[in-house]
Amino acid sequence: MKSSVHSSGSWNLLTLSLALLFALPFFSLIVTAGSGGENVWGHLLSTVMPGYLKNTFWLMLGVGSGTLLLGVSTGWLISMTEFPGRRMMEWALLLPLAFPGYIIAMVYVELLEFSGPVQEQLRLWFGWQNYMDYWFPPIASLGGAITMLSLVLFPYVYLLARTAFLQQSATLMEASRMLDKSAGNSFFMIALPLARPAIVVGVSLAMMETLADFGTMQLFAVQTFTTGIYHTWFGAYNAPGAAQLSLSLLTFISFFIFLERYSRKQQRFHAQSSIKNAHTRYPLSGIRAVLALLFCIFPVLFGFALPAGLLIQWATESWRGVMLDRFFSDAGNSILLAGVTALLGVFIGLLMAFGSRLSKRRRIHWAARLVSLGYTFPGPVVALGVLLPFAWFDRTMDAWMQETFGITTGYLLSGTLFILVFAYLVRFLALAYGTAESGLERITSDMEDASRSLGKNTWQTLKQVHLPLLRGSVLAAGMLVFVDVMKELPATLMLQPFNFSTLATRAYGYATEELLKEASLWCLTIVVVGLFPVIFLNRQLRQTAPQN
Amino acid sequence: MIECRNLTKSYGVLEAVSDFSLHLEEHEFLSILGPSGCGKSTLLRLIAGLEVPSKGQVLLEKREISGEKIILPPERRKFGMIFQDFALFPHLSIEKNIAYGVSGSRSEKQKRVVELLKLVSLQHLASKMPHQISGGEQQRIAVARSLAPRPRLILMDEPFSNLDYQLRLQLRREIRGILKHEGVATILVTHDQVEAITFSERVLLMHKGKLVQAGTPEEIYQQPQTLWASSFVGEANHLSVEWEKTSLKSPFGFLDVPAEIGKETRILMVRPEDFILVSAPDDEANGIVKTVEFSGAAQTVGVELKSGEKIQVSGSPHLLWNLEDPVKITAERYLCFNSSGDRLDGFTAK
Repeated sequence: MKSSVHSSGSWNLLTLSLALLFALPFFSLIVTAGSGGENVWGHLLSTVMPGYLKNTFWLMLGVGSGTLLLGVSTGWLISMTEFPGRRMMEWALLLPLAFPGYIIAMVYVELLEFSGPVQEQLRLWFGWQNYMDYWFPPIASLGGAITMLSLVLFPYVYLLARTAFLQQSATLMEASRMLDKSAGNSFFMIALPLARPAIVVGVSLAMMETLADFGTMQLFAVQTFTTGIYHTWFGAYNAPGAAQLSLSLLTFISFFIFLERYSRKQQRFHAQSSIKNAHTRYPLSGIRAVLALLFCIFPVLFGFALPAGLLIQWATESWRGVMLDRFFSDAGNSILLAGVTALLGVFIGLLMAFGSRLSKRRRIHWAARLVSLGYTFPGPVVALGVLLPFAWFDRTMDAWMQETFGITTGYLLSGTLFILVFAYLVRFLALAYGTAESGLERITSDMEDASRSLGKNTWQTLKQVHLPLLRGSVLAAGMLVFVDVMKELPATLMLQPFNFSTLATRAYGYATEELLKEASLWCLTIVVVGLFPVIFLNRQLRQTAPQN
Repeated sequence: MIECRNLTKSYGVLEAVSDFSLHLEEHEFLSILGPSGCGKSTLLRLIAGLEVPSKGQVLLEKREISGEKIILPPERRKFGMIFQDFALFPHLSIEKNIAYGVSGSRSEKQKRVVELLKLVSLQHLASKMPHQISGGEQQRIAVARSLAPRPRLILMDEPFSNLDYQLRLQLRREIRGILKHEGVATILVTHDQVEAITFSERVLLMHKGKLVQAGTPEEIYQQPQTLWASSFVGEANHLSVEWEKTSLKSPFGFLDVPAEIGKETRILMVRPEDFILVSAPDDEANGIVKTVEFSGAAQTVGVELKSGEKIQVSGSPHLLWNLEDPVKITAERYLCFNSSGDRLDGFTAK
């Protein structure tokens, strides 16, 4: 047996217990949801649920069609045609990913609200006196939320559709034309169906992000599950209710997880051709080239350039007025949290990926996969799932200490940075684990065996063979976790200690007090940090995509 | 039926196909043979309408379909094409792949699909997906699919090169039979001379974008136009010679060649089977046996001539040769080539 060679018993135990530790929030939600009795559930069902369901349905439909339309059309233009400026648009279309939903929402609220510059200008031009004189689309609405999220989430679809189109063997389209189908027919009968699994993956990712979004919905006062969980907990301290809402939300999300996984499997069959013939891009000229370029510029302009430009302008206008010491302390907090989480995440992710690889047991693989689900859990759900068991632990500990020693320990863990980092790890460990795992895949088991046959034990092999080969993916994993922690809002909001804030929570705090211009320095910093993974993603694409 | 006139396709300074002309009769099987990168696939794609020629024309029944004024799109030419990677649509079942190019009612489509599956004897695979069937089956389905819209011409781009050796031989025979039975004309592009020779009635030899020679496989083998052709189709020995007074001086003695040819001749080409090899005493010998390769039906003997040149001789497997045996070599047949590698016409020594 191969596994006996690797003395993997202790590794199995380590992997399994890590996996269970990080799955703790999930189990705590199930236990709590069951503890409330049936009447809580019935109450939810009759009061808030219909509204949540309705809003969620329209959000799915709106963001789904928005990202589909923008993503597939830009993906097709970039991968199959040639027009002046195409190369620049190829990476520019990824830029909106740098904006968290709540930040782009803040910018557009400031820009488009009643007292904002756009409406003011319109009133000046047309001589309107007050809001009774004219109609202007309200930005803080369901429609507004759909627009914001479509603008920042379409790059998922764009990215996957573009790669799918590029990877299709050119001969398939030629074969279709040799079978008497026109180029247009061939696109709809061959290219689009073949790219469908990839497109579904992209839309599923966008849907999961939409379901998880908290900041945009909260700012636009759109009631959804995520805001509902937040209010049920903070407004009413109704733990079973919040847990039940969390589980309902997870049911929705699991549908998209399933859809995503299933489509990825389909994709493998669809990309079976062995010969990759380079596509000849369809050259566009004249008015058609201009239209294609404008079409690609449009989402980049509204999803990145305009809001980024406004943030820069507001930040330069307002930075003297803001409390810079406050900014630096918030930035320091953010960097500290992100840095610690990234280091721990990478370390634990590596341990688990390595342990899961050593083990030939299904149980271990499943445990590891369980951890990767954390990434699909929305922030409020993770926060609640982490808070509940720790609060229980603190209460029990306190009671026991009082009873036995007569001392009060109070809240030992809840309300500390420890619990916050733990929540981040639950949410983002999957990123580190996934990156480490795909990096490990490149190291063959023959290399491991060779090292073992040369007298190195598991630890030495890990240090001397795996780590040097993994350096690139480890750095990438660390960066992804770092940036995601910097951007994270709802879990931080729910778990941060008293008198403590990060860039994200302070920006959000300013926004709720309608001090959006004051928040611009904070927002800008988050967007700039958010650019790093975009640059990284783009570099990776350059290396992997077939060039022509 | 199909005619190409002075077809040229250039990519920047590189001419992939240059000044190429060909014609194809109804029902004819034609092969375009050449090493990889010689432009043969580009030529096929020009005929298919998948590429636009830089110069020249393609005519179908004397009507221009590619040229300066008109480029008929591939879907309106009604040619079938079989690709190297078969290009089956991975998201469609076998039936749907075959029905893809068929127009008409559902029952007509169904009828044609059944007919074609029967033709390639793969009725049982109708509802399978392409990734569920073997390479050889995929190949036959690709043939069935290309025949489905009843084309008059089938273009094949290295259709057998993705299959292993045994399967290749079997399928080649089988598919040739099917295409003959359907009565379509065929242009096969290949780098494999055996494939070209066994598949088609006429072979066009292509090198660096140009037509080198057209003819039956025998003609190209017996009368190669150039030195390159002589060694691309079959094995060839090239020996330097020079004219001395009245005869041609070769490593194996003086040869009797007409003066107007002999004076121009720089290289002599001899096929391995056209040498006569006899053992001889040291003083009469003009070479020494250096290698012996036995391959069942024949034997290839490597001989180093006294002049220093090395030649390959193939002969009967019944004569046993030992290394370092002194031998006497003479040539039964040979061809003369000038300094630029072109054959000097009208002379084949016997």
